[in-house]
Amino acid sequence: MFFDVLLIGIMVGAIYTLVTIGYSMVYSILKLMNFAHGDVYIFGTFICYTLLSKYSMNPLVAILIAALLGGLLASLVEVVAYRRLRSEQHRMISMITALGAAYVIQNSNELQWGNQVLAFPSILTAKTFQLFGFTIPITQIIILVIAVSLIAVFTLFLKYHPYGKAILCVSEDIPTASLMGIPINKTITMVYFIGGMLGVVGGILYSTSYNAVSLAMGFRGTIIAFTAAVIGGIGSLGGALVGGMLLGICENFIGVYVSSSYRDPITFLLLILILLVKPTGIMGSVDQSKV
Amino acid sequence: MKFNSLLENPIYVKAGYILAILLALFLPKIVSDMYYLGIVNYMILYAILCMGLNLILGYTGLLSLGHAAFYGLGGYTTAILITRYGFSFLSCLIISGIVALLFGILLGIPTRKVRGDYFCLLTIAFGEIFRLVAQAWIEFTNGAMGIVGIPIPKIFGWSIRTESDFYYLGLTLLGFTYITLALLVNSKFGRAFIAIREDELAASVMGINTALYKIIVFAIGCFYAGLAGSYLAVYQTTITPSNFRLEESCLMIIMVIVGGMGSLLAPIAGVIVMTIATEYFRGISEYRMLIIGVIMVAVLLFRPQGIFGTSAFKS
Amino acid sequence: MSLLTAKAIGKNFGGVVALDDVSLTVENGEIVGMIGPNGSGKTTFINNLSGLYAPSNGEFIFNEEDITGLAAHVITAKGISRTFQNLRVFPNISVLENVLVGLHCRINVSLWDVYFRFLKTRKAESQAKEKAMAVLEVADLASRKNDLAKNLPYGKQRLLEICRAIVSDPHLLLLDEPCAGMNPVEMDELADFIKVLQKKGITVFVIEHNMRFIMSVAERIIVLANGAKFQEGTPAQIQNDKKVQAIYLGDEGDI
Repeated sequence: MFFDVLLIGIMVGAIYTLVTIGYSMVYSILKLMNFAHGDVYIFGTFICYTLLSKYSMNPLVAILIAALLGGLLASLVEVVAYRRLRSEQHRMISMITALGAAYVIQNSNELQWGNQVLAFPSILTAKTFQLFGFTIPITQIIILVIAVSLIAVFTLFLKYHPYGKAILCVSEDIPTASLMGIPINKTITMVYFIGGMLGVVGGILYSTSYNAVSLAMGFRGTIIAFTAAVIGGIGSLGGALVGGMLLGICENFIGVYVSSSYRDPITFLLLILILLVKPTGIMGSVDQSKV
Repeated sequence: MKFNSLLENPIYVKAGYILAILLALFLPKIVSDMYYLGIVNYMILYAILCMGLNLILGYTGLLSLGHAAFYGLGGYTTAILITRYGFSFLSCLIISGIVALLFGILLGIPTRKVRGDYFCLLTIAFGEIFRLVAQAWIEFTNGAMGIVGIPIPKIFGWSIRTESDFYYLGLTLLGFTYITLALLVNSKFGRAFIAIREDELAASVMGINTALYKIIVFAIGCFYAGLAGSYLAVYQTTITPSNFRLEESCLMIIMVIVGGMGSLLAPIAGVIVMTIATEYFRGISEYRMLIIGVIMVAVLLFRPQGIFGTSAFKS
Repeated sequence: MSLLTAKAIGKNFGGVVALDDVSLTVENGEIVGMIGPNGSGKTTFINNLSGLYAPSNGEFIFNEEDITGLAAHVITAKGISRTFQNLRVFPNISVLENVLVGLHCRINVSLWDVYFRFLKTRKAESQAKEKAMAVLEVADLASRKNDLAKNLPYGKQRLLEICRAIVSDPHLLLLDEPCAGMNPVEMDELADFIKVLQKKGITVFVIEHNMRFIMSVAERIIVLANGAKFQEGTPAQIQNDKKVQAIYLGDEGDI
């Protein structure tokens, strides 16, 4: 029992990490709570759902198309709702437009797919195998492998690819990066694109492992992403991993051992406590604002 | 900008105020259709909520997405005290305000430590905790079914039954809200709140205890939400957790934005515009959030100061 | 007893030493200048003094009272006010309101008074307005009291920031590079204004890069280099000091 819960927790944690990375990157660059993140990823998941269930498409192609569309939508949101407000002195303003964008996407999703829970086709095998006397579903292992390898690829991308390095520069200091000849607008749009894509893949993996997709998972996804990012320490990939894992595992234990109706309240309480005790997150560092 | 120059002429402004007050006092005599008066009552309710929220959002620059939870705290306090313990409405009203105020202090304390956007997340988390607990704690709140059958309120022997009675009750609360807020924002405290919004660090060097003031402003803003919640409970005679969803907080925010942040009466304009818009679009209610979202983005992109807001939010 | 005594002030950020064992005194009524190359710790010093940072070691004695590590708003109330290097007026409120915010800790009104003692509050407000207007008169800003601060020309905004700092009758005024971005005429006006403040009994501690300005204003100059006190003396002594000239070579600060 305990081991099963832990394993599911790790799998959910890996998915959360995927959803969190894009969010955390955006946040570290623009210091903007991207409220639309969750609705973008649920949009991609819905697309994938339609491609699979209506058109019986090859899962890999479906995921690819869904991820691309999700990425495009995320960058569209950036261009329309955020770009003009980037120089705004009150960050609050762009947070509110972010919320507005989230509403628009959420409502559009609802018009297309309704607000019921839909049965997401399982695209992975349901087989299990035995290890040290434990029954381990292969699905979870595959999901874990996909999530971990995507995280690894993204990490390498940031470190070695010129575009990845540009992203890191922009997140350090936008004016300086601009002086160095880095195209700021393009880079930021790219961050949104990648963030949206990773989010969609995370959403699809989540939905296929629970065989369900619903509108409500969108807003929840936004909160999960921000919570995990904050718990781990915002803007750091390691932080996203730690935060995502911790959140996934905690949630599962609370859901199984306490009560599933108190799962979300306790998660939120955890968030409040962490913000109170260590606002910079577990892996985060203090940045003292310059006077 | 003809409209703005009209606003600058003191004679027109004064005449406008007097006309508005007279209209407000005799409205139930003019509007005979109870349906429309009901809509006006909801406008008053939202006006109280939004004026309180504006103190937090527009004056001090703190983004709170949990205002509905304080509204709900007031609503549940009144509902439970009246139906289970037989408290009088007036005492419920005061207690509801105070309960919201106390929780406001509690949630305001973290503003000492956490930055603005984390605070916003805290308020979302608090709002969700409130709603989920109201749903899950069935013995105390009757869960998703909510509390029903809240009796007709009586104030000093005056029982409040009709739409028009509720109108005058609401108007009194609104007047109280306006006067107390006007006293506050026109004092050195109001200036301090604005200073915090403009530049928190510079404000602290001006001798303003920014940490304490943020708690004060947040708690006071929540107090009015508690009053509004209490009014809602007796007006609707029933309250459910879904009255206090995040969406509700967002609606308040957008009303404040449309009216104009950082100006005392401006949110009322936002309330009126948004309520009429919501009524007008009732036929296509499935597009409701879409429309709200588009308005939110469009207003902030093209007229961030809203209809009447201060220049702080002008791009 | 000196107005301000800084005893062996040190400040580390992580492993970086920003200030190291800085000791100095400021006497009542004088104008003290602080100079030093970029990154020598001048701004860090007054950030520690005004309570924005807490020093890692050492102590500040002000008016025979230990004020080390107190919160910024408490230190302001005790009579130290300051301006900022990178101009921080409140842009979207009027000139008069900016000055009134500076008077915040001198308006003796509580929340209770606001709600229940209207007359007292109103009287305090009108007194505050008179006082703020008096300061604006001295700075020749009275005619623009209703303009938004952001609509003033740059030099006037600098002046407004000083007005906002002195309206609370501080004993000690800290000016952090007040001339930055000013033209020579505005600089001369500012030098005169600082001398007026001195006559009104305000002690001034000024950080400045512009040597012409600081030599004309300060009575005593402290030189900071690499976070430590390097030299101290009259403007004439500092000007002729070979070692001080040496630390400025290679720095873009004009000497």
